[in-house]
This record gives sequence, C-alpha cells and structure tokens, in this order.
Amino acid sequence: MHPQHDAHVLIVGGGATGGGLAHDLALRGLRVTLVERGEVTSGTSGRHHGLLHSGARYAVGDREAGVECIRENMILKRIAPGTFECNDGLFVAVCDEDLEYIEPLIEGCTGAGIPVQRLSAAEALRLEPNLNPDLKAAVRVPDATVDPMRLILRFFATARHNGADIRPYMEVIGLLAHDGVVTGAAVHDHVTGKEGEIHADLVVNAAGPWSERVAAMAGAQVPMTPSPGVLLALRGRYCNMVINRMHKSGDGDIVVPQRGLSIIGTTSWVVEDPDDLSVPEDHVERMYAEGSKLIPALRHAERRAAWAAARPLVGSAGAATGRELSRTFQTFDHANQDGIEGFVTITGGKATTLRGMAELCADVVCRKLGVDEPCRTHQTVLLPHTAYYSEAVAA
Amino acid sequence: MSEEKPPPGGPTVTQTGQDDTRRFRVYRYKRGDGGERFDEFEVPVGPYTTVLDALRWIKQHKDPSLALRFSCLHASCGTCGMQVDGREALGCVCSVQDHGEEITVEPLANLPVLTDLVVEMNGFFRRFPHEHPIIRSSGFSADGEDGEDGELHLEGGHEVMLDLPSPVPLHHHPLHHHHRAAPPAVDFVRLEDCIECGLCLSACPVAATSHDYVGPAALAAAERLLEEPRGVKRDDVLAWASRPEGVWRCHVGLECTRACPADAIPAERIMALRRELMFGGPDDKEGKR
Amino acid sequence: MSATDELPGTAEREQPGPIRHKGPGPGESGWLDPRGRGHGGRAMALHRVTGLVIVFYLYLHLGVLSMLLIGSSAWSSFLSVVTAKSFLAFEVVLIAAVLFHGINGIRVAFVGSGIAVTRERAMFWAGTVIGTIAVIFAALHVLGALS
Repeated sequence: MHPQHDAHVLIVGGGATGGGLAHDLALRGLRVTLVERGEVTSGTSGRHHGLLHSGARYAVGDREAGVECIRENMILKRIAPGTFECNDGLFVAVCDEDLEYIEPLIEGCTGAGIPVQRLSAAEALRLEPNLNPDLKAAVRVPDATVDPMRLILRFFATARHNGADIRPYMEVIGLLAHDGVVTGAAVHDHVTGKEGEIHADLVVNAAGPWSERVAAMAGAQVPMTPSPGVLLALRGRYCNMVINRMHKSGDGDIVVPQRGLSIIGTTSWVVEDPDDLSVPEDHVERMYAEGSKLIPALRHAERRAAWAAARPLVGSAGAATGRELSRTFQTFDHANQDGIEGFVTITGGKATTLRGMAELCADVVCRKLGVDEPCRTHQTVLLPHTAYYSEAVAA
Repeated sequence: MSEEKPPPGGPTVTQTGQDDTRRFRVYRYKRGDGGERFDEFEVPVGPYTTVLDALRWIKQHKDPSLALRFSCLHASCGTCGMQVDGREALGCVCSVQDHGEEITVEPLANLPVLTDLVVEMNGFFRRFPHEHPIIRSSGFSADGEDGEDGELHLEGGHEVMLDLPSPVPLHHHPLHHHHRAAPPAVDFVRLEDCIECGLCLSACPVAATSHDYVGPAALAAAERLLEEPRGVKRDDVLAWASRPEGVWRCHVGLECTRACPADAIPAERIMALRRELMFGGPDDKEGKR
Repeated sequence: MSATDELPGTAEREQPGPIRHKGPGPGESGWLDPRGRGHGGRAMALHRVTGLVIVFYLYLHLGVLSMLLIGSSAWSSFLSVVTAKSFLAFEVVLIAAVLFHGINGIRVAFVGSGIAVTRERAMFWAGTVIGTIAVIFAALHVLGALS
C-alpha cells in the first residue's frame, strides 16, 4: 500500500508505542519513518512479564485505567488472534486479609465492565493444581499471556507492509529545528557508523523512559520518571492461567506462564538513568518469597534469568516508589507547552493499551498536519509477526 | 560505573561490578568500512553477570557504537543469539561464570551479519513453512468430568468464551520435560516452545555447507503442524518436508537439540517427521504419530 | 522523492552481509570443525571422514588387485610390503574406520528413521564400547599377538 498523503512523520523509538503509532499512521495513509537505536522492542516494551491485562488490577483504585484495559484487551484479541494464550487469570486470596479485597475487586471490575467470576478454593485448585493449597477463594478474570515482542512485531510488520520505513539501529543524536519548529532529526547509523539527517513534517517522540532525554534535544520538557522493577524467570511451567495476588498492588504479586518458564514480578523504584539498571539480589529474593505464596513449588524452581525494566511513568519525580503515579498515558503537543512546533511526545501507558495510546497520538498528529482520516486500527487484523522479516513491499 | 540512587530495601548489587574482571573479544563489523575485526574489552563482572549484561556494559561505558540485538532479557524472545567461545547461546542467560578469563563473542553462523553481533533474520524466517502458528493446545485432554462446556457466564453480563480447541489426544513426547504436578483439568492453550532464535541453524553442520537446507527450526515447525494441524493439511506439510532441501538433508548431527535454549527438541521432531514420511499412512484424521 | 533516500546507510543495508561459519577453512568446511560440538556433530564429521577413507581404500584395493594381472612376482613383492608390521598398523586404522562407519551407521539409520530416538545416547555409548572392543581385538589379531 502506498502512502496517500504527502505528510511525512518521523517517529523516534521502536517500542510498543512507536510500533502502534507507525501502524496507525501508515493505515491512515501517511508517510512514516521510524528510527530505533537498537533492535525494535529492545527498550521497556520487550521486557515485561507478558501479561495482557484484563484491567482487574486497576479497576479498584483507578477505574479509568480499568475501563481502558478491558476495552483494549478485547480489541487486541480480535486484531491479533493467535498471539495470546487466552487462558484467563485468577486473583487468589491466600490469607484472610486478602479476602477483604474480594468485594472491592468484584465491584470495581463490574463497574469497569470487566467480566468476573467467583470461584471456590476447590474450583481454583482444579484449574490450577500447583496453587497454594491453603488458598481461600479466587476470582477469574479475562487476563491473557502474550509474547511481548511478537505482539509488537505484528504492528511493525503491518506498518512496514503498508509502506512505513522501519529502521532499527539508527539512533537519534539530535533534533533539527529552525525558528522554533522541529524539522527532523540528526541520526547515527549503527550499521555503517555514518551520520545523516532525516527531514519530516512532524517528529513524534515515542522513546518511553528515554522520552525526557529526546525531548530535551529540542529544548522541550517531558515530566518523566523512569521507574524500574525486577522480574524473575524460573524454569518450569507451573500454571497456565495468570495468577494474581488478591490485594492492592505490591511486590511480586503476579505469576505469568511463558512457554516453559514462570515469570514472577515485580518491584518498583525510581531512577534517573533508564540505561543503567541494577538487579538487586534482595529484590530477586522477594520475588521468590512472594511468588511462592501463590505457587509453593516456585520456591525451589531454578532461576533462568533476573532482569529489570524501566516503566515510563508520566509525572515528576516527587514520587518515592513509582507506584503512586498513574499508569495512564499522555500526549504532549510541545507547541502548547514549550512553544515548539512540529514536535509531539507520547509517553506513559501500559503494554496492554498500546493500540489505544497510538490512536490518541495519531489523532493529534493528523490534526496538526491537517489530515482528515479516521482510525481503523481497532478493526484491522494484523499481519503475523514473521511478516516483519520478509522483504517489505516497496513503498 | 555510573552513580545511581540505590533502590529501597538494600544496597545496590549491580550485575556488572565486584572484583572479577574478564576480557571480552567481540566481533565487529560495520558496513562501508569493510573490516571484520575483533575488539577487546575488560569488563567487571559479578556472580550473576550474563554475556549480554557484559556486552551492554561495554556499549554503555566503553563503545556506544557496538550494535546488539536483544529484547526480553529472559530467553523468551530469542533475539540475543550469538556464539560464545564457539558455542551457540542466548546472551541473556549465558553466565559469564561458565566461561574463562577470555571470552570470545561472535554473531550466529550461517546467517548474514548486519552489523557487529546482529544477524539478518530474514533468511531464517524465509525457510519456514508458509503457515506456522505459534499457539497450540497445552497437549492434555480435558477430563470432561463435570461437563464444562467451555462457556463462561460471568457477572457483569459479558460472556467470554475461552478459546478452547477441541480436545486433542495426549501427545506425550518422552523427551518433552515440563515440570508439572499434574496435567491440567481443562484444555488450555499455550505458546509453542520454539522462540525462533536461530541457534539451531547456527549449530547445524549441514546448514554450514548448504544455504538451501531449510534447517532444524523450520522442520520442527512442520512436525508440530503434524502433531496439531490447526487447519493445515497433513499432505501439504509432508510434501513441503520431503523436498530435496527438506528433511532428507539432515544427517543426524543432533547439534540442533543441543543448542536449543527452549526445549523445542528440533532433532527429535525432524526424526518424527522422517518416520511419518517413511512409515506413516495416508491422511490420518486423528493425527497420530 | 522517497523519504528513504534521506536515510544514511540505505544502500549498505541492502547489500548481502558476510556469513560467519565454523572452522578455519572455507565456508563449506564448517561441518568438519569439532570445536564446540557435541557427540552427535563429532560423530557425523567422523562418519564423513571415514566414508571418504573407505571409498579411497576401495579404489586402492581394486588398483592393488589389478596387480594380479601383471604376474605373480609383482604380487609377491607387493605382499612383502603390505604384510610388514609397520604397514599392518594402517590395516588396524582401516578396520577402525570401517567399524566406526558401520556401527555409527546403524545408529544413524535407526535414529534417522525416527526409531529409538529417545535411546540415541544409549546406542552411541553401546556402539562405542562394542567398537572399541572390536578394534582392540582386531589390532591384537592383525599385529600377531593372537594367531
């Protein structure tokens, strides 16, 4: 498919946000170039535990996030079939204190339109025999497991086949500006070691936790608080459903199956530099401890990997742990707040809402460029992820 | 080493830090300036440092031009394949402690290098059968005891159907170990084990010689289609596999299963495919092996 | 004008890149390099080498037999060379090659047909043990310790 509009958009950042946006804009017929300094999804987007949220985790404290999640959950299952383990999830109460959360949880989910089902301990154990035998009750929700990279690759594949130029290993080293208008980017190509310039009608900053750094290249402000957490992958598939702890968000309260591994997550703290993340051993130990409250056998499972990923939380550093900041996303039109034209930032968000985030940002982009095209990503089935690796249809 | 605010709850224990130092010989290649060469770097390592951690440290602190391919950091995406001391590994789970004072890192073999340690995966994916779905049944049959019909009637008035495939016979592959206390009572679906990392193609002695050979990953994908057709016709799969560059090019080196980080057992699947071709009957509706 | 013209490195990315291969020699010799390989890859390499050795020996053998056409004196002098102890050592190597190729061939034939795949390791070690005993026996016999 050839681009139908002349407007050229340059997207900085090849994660879920960039991929979703490249797809949306390419589908609306714009010319899209996306540059990413490493492999696509090599930032935060590839590293999460692979949960497709039902929104239940947020429905109690943040109803808006819950509504967003369940809507996007259903859309993604429709536009990317064959990429999710649609096995649902359980919220499990392992102590009496947890049981106090069950009514708010069910009420919150029902209010947000998230399907829920109460289960007895026996029913839960029948579904998942490895659960803590002392569990009190469980609630079933439409969580799903996803391979993070492969879902996002479907967006990239479709964008590429619709004419977008997806360019990994090309790092933005500066933004070009003239008279308060951003006109493109200076880039360094890691394949050749050469440098060059890309000119565009609009530059979108989709660099996740690095958004603040990229925005600063144009003298713009983005209140970004990178908030890492540790995740732990253990050998063995101990569950088929996503297992959540039935309590307020806390450390190590989820176990997600990923092929032959079980992922326990996560913790939360704040940093300045999203590139240099430590993996403190006490956080790993905490994952083992909390995870084995849900599935006791995890205590003795062999460690496959422990890693950290920085959430891109919107809001200023004033937060102590990062859990206080909202998980919703925001688009910043820098013309409004910094007096800089031709430059938009989209940041924040969760993996589950990537398509919705992209729609919001694409609407802003199109409005700025005077392009009148509706979003169709909610109803367009994506190409398989392997299509990303086939020779792209020439633009 | 950059200063950073320690996370709450304890002292920072960085992955790269502490007293141990290793010398990394890293393959370098940039297009346009011609040369393939090896660069050397001294890297501080700790008890849990992986080769990928060390490479990212090099990129962060010594040479930002080093191009690396990675994504999930936990052997799930399959993008960080490389050769470490001549042996295939995923960098993110290859512990530095399993290697010596000097560690040589090169890109995967048998695929063209894009830059430094990054290979072009187009050639890898081109070899696969046209359709190879990545979701399958968990392999256990529903016990059907309490007549669960697969429909879930939930509070809130929404009906959510689980994507339950029709029950399939138990294909218990004797080499397929997954730690489970008991088979699940309900049909679940799951992602295929194969993470498309290319380590098997790099390790294969036949792929070293022949650029046409489809390779272990592609053949294993075909065998999984026989195990669970998911709409693909058995005869099509067998015809695809029995081409000259297909299953008969394998010479039983078994290096692919040895290299596989994801228990996808490609060698065993290739042999199962060959058994089907030699001894299997005409289209068998039950898909028995 | 296409946006891709502006991007540096576009032409270079479209070039075919170098391919890393195992082994110090030309690309096609990667199968021969035993470094970093397991028992399967090494057995395969040795199977190919012994196969070549056996083929080579077959031609040699036929060539040698053709000496019978020349006359008994040529044959006798040839025999005195090949029955010398030093030369018999080559015979033992040849026997080892034939035994390896044959026994490993049985293992490959089974496994490669999808039969007894789970017992491949056992077959390999059993074959190694049988083959080693046979070679020792042959060596002792050929080199004259037994009669």
